[in-house]
Amino acid sequence: MTDEAPFDGEVPIVAEFDIVVARKCVREASVALGFGVTDVTRIVTAASELARNIFQYAGSGVMRWRRVSSNGRAGIELVFEDHGPGIADVALAMEVGFTTGGGLGMGLPGAKKLMGELEIRSQAGAGATVTTRKWLDK
Amino acid sequence: MLSEGISVIKVRDVLLVTVPADPDDETVSLMQAKVLEAMEHRQAKGLVLDISMVETLDSFFARTVVETERMVGMMGGRTVVAGMRPSVAITVTQLGLTLGAALSALNVDRALDLLQQPKTKGAK
Repeated sequence: MTDEAPFDGEVPIVAEFDIVVARKCVREASVALGFGVTDVTRIVTAASELARNIFQYAGSGVMRWRRVSSNGRAGIELVFEDHGPGIADVALAMEVGFTTGGGLGMGLPGAKKLMGELEIRSQAGAGATVTTRKWLDK
Repeated sequence: MLSEGISVIKVRDVLLVTVPADPDDETVSLMQAKVLEAMEHRQAKGLVLDISMVETLDSFFARTVVETERMVGMMGGRTVVAGMRPSVAITVTQLGLTLGAALSALNVDRALDLLQQPKTKGAK
């Protein structure tokens, strides 16, 4: 069990290449936290989808990650924040296949499936914050 | 900005592309352009995408593979995706992604064998 390691940081998402940077940071943090290879792949893939959402829909934003713990379990939390147009209908955005950007409509519902926990706070015109967590098995 | 180069080589009569571990979107798009160009110039019968190094296969990558398979198909070639890692197969399935009509093979060797077989009607 590792404690007090610097499992946190942030990456600005302003260019397409920052999606790769975000993936790399999340990969390193998840490995350091002790996630297995399949969970690391899940977490990194979810981060890729959510970072791309920022780049595609908001133009710019930030991804933050940190180690979290609850009831003796550790996990990773990723927060994606932007000040773009926001998400007009959060429930609709969580539906598989719904897209306003010509994508596959897999990003948000897919990320939730891969991570387990995912919440969206958004107001139309005032940006969006997507918070997602994955917990380590005890 | 390109993180890693992509090279398209010809093996027997098909094209082989080894996809880098963590390609950015631009590299993925460039790969598609290079493949189509090589299909014409090198008179290839098909395409093998070796993704055995790939650690993250997200929706952009999947969409590009689906598109590339269609484009290669329009030009008369078949596409095989080879060497997907177990962790990637699990993640892609949970994410709900598919690779369209692209064939799959366990590794490049089997992918090449697959492309030597005659095209059967209705084969996926």
